[in-house]
Amino acid sequence: MVTAVEFCQYILNGISQGCIYILLASGLTLVFGILNVPNFAQGHLYMIGAYFGFYMVMSFGMNYWMALILATMALAFLGLLLYKFIFYPMRDVPEVNLFVAAMALLMIIEGAALFFFGTETKWFVVPYSRHVVTFGPFALPLQRIIVILGTLVVMIALQIFIKKTMIGATLEATAQQREGAMLCGIKVTSVSALAFMIGTGLAGIAGVLIGPAVLLEPTMGMGPLLVAFSAVVFGGMGSIAGAVLGAFILGLVESLASGYISATYSLTFVFGIMILTLLFRPKGLLGREVWRP
Amino acid sequence: MKMPLFTKATAWLPALILAIVIPPMAGGYLVSMLILICIWTIMCFSLNIIYGYTGQLSLGQAAFFGIGAYAFGLLTVKVNMGFWPAFFASVFIAGLSGFLIGIPALKLRGPYFILVTLGFSVIVGVVLVAWVDLTGGANGLAGMPRPSPVPLPWGGRLTFDSLLPMYYFTLFFLVLIMVFSHRLINSLIGRRFIAISYNEDLTESLGIDTMSTKILSFTISAIMAGIAGVLYASYNVVISPEMAYFARGMDVVAYLVVGGAGTMAGPILGTLVLMAVPELLQVIPSLKTMINGIILMLFLIFLPSGISGGFKALKGRIIRSRTSPYAGS
Repeated sequence: MVTAVEFCQYILNGISQGCIYILLASGLTLVFGILNVPNFAQGHLYMIGAYFGFYMVMSFGMNYWMALILATMALAFLGLLLYKFIFYPMRDVPEVNLFVAAMALLMIIEGAALFFFGTETKWFVVPYSRHVVTFGPFALPLQRIIVILGTLVVMIALQIFIKKTMIGATLEATAQQREGAMLCGIKVTSVSALAFMIGTGLAGIAGVLIGPAVLLEPTMGMGPLLVAFSAVVFGGMGSIAGAVLGAFILGLVESLASGYISATYSLTFVFGIMILTLLFRPKGLLGREVWRP
Repeated sequence: MKMPLFTKATAWLPALILAIVIPPMAGGYLVSMLILICIWTIMCFSLNIIYGYTGQLSLGQAAFFGIGAYAFGLLTVKVNMGFWPAFFASVFIAGLSGFLIGIPALKLRGPYFILVTLGFSVIVGVVLVAWVDLTGGANGLAGMPRPSPVPLPWGGRLTFDSLLPMYYFTLFFLVLIMVFSHRLINSLIGRRFIAISYNEDLTESLGIDTMSTKILSFTISAIMAGIAGVLYASYNVVISPEMAYFARGMDVVAYLVVGGAGTMAGPILGTLVLMAVPELLQVIPSLKTMINGIILMLFLIFLPSGISGGFKALKGRIIRSRTSPYAGS
């Protein structure tokens, strides 16, 4: 039964690939739900996170997990700065301008990364990152398993934070009804800043977690970003559960499509699915009216 | 009311004269730069129709550019068509693809429309790279012809083998597209475009079929992008998938927003500034992206109406202090 084994291996690859998209897509959808910013630069923030981890581990010899925490904090701080100096001043402009601003941010980060990090690909080596775990006929690099477990932990933590804590409740309230949240005495500006920080922090986590599993280059964020964006649209913009589901499905689609049809066209399938979803279910799979009118 | 000496119309004339007179005195490098500026300005005008006037941001303009250029390349190199038949056929193909994409995509609004156009652009980019048999893959296509010689009324022929005639050729199309844009925007259809950009639901409630108006606007913008693509293919002789890469579509958005969306001068000013500044600073290509991004960001935060919007505000301030508030319009 080679085909069944093959199929399961593709599913396994798809799950680990989907986890990458989950980390990016949940940040995207959180920021979109609260700030209405389709943060186009999320993929590039993820790239910065990966490089940050790379330099911490490879140049300063820092512990990998330490670097993970540090990168998350650094990216969250960067998110605070971005919010303070770019998206807060632009809070009253038309939505389209926010999109263009995120695009400008992408251009700035990409140019800076090409300049500072160089165009050559870098190899983020963690002691155990090349170790391959085999169980039965299946094989998965250890780093991929770390990505899956890490994603699980992060997503559960995020879910607990949003559903069980007071601050999390303010996040959800602001996403559902901005004016209503204001009337309840929620400081929407602080909540927005927090949402942006969580979004960029998730990008930082994603960068350090995934970095050792892939090659680092300044444009590495673009592909995952496009898929994560499709996942967010596919699941319904603003809905975290939708983003997770969408990212998971698109990860599987990409893995199966590249396994059975063609690796070069896998992105085409992902985008094709996004476009078809939008045509038949414009709010996405789990998108609800309440998130954004 | 006294006729002002310096109206908008009289401002365009010296600009056109400058565009005609300066290049022969300049070197070859500057002329090739100006050709590219003309082509990207046409792209900006194409985006201006759908974004500046109709209010629907499309990141897919690079795809239509690529479709036009590749259609032209394939028709001339593989089918051996002449320049002009291939020109019109490719522009038609670009327009048709805009029409076909527009039907589903324009049902969506806001970020969803933007993402579908982006997705379309990515798909076109992937296909251009991956369909090696047809497009030549990452190596691209080569051997596109320059425009066929035009017989001159006083004998002799105008050939487009050198840079300068090629520059005038692209400039001719730029002026043509500007005149067309101007006429279009001041027509009833153009008014509908603008109405949609202000409030789509309200426009629809007035009995205007917004969907077909948006599709018309998108098709026209795709045709313009196709023309730019054909001009590029003909000028550059070689085309590669990079030119249809969606980042080019973002560059066009940057040019237009910096220049001022929804104005006639905006596309020209924005393209000139964003293409000339990195050139003047003599920076490496990666920093070029960064500088463009920074300029775009500064404009978005401090002057979202762009350079020409800034001029208008400045002019409005001066005029308001002298005459009635409507004198400037």
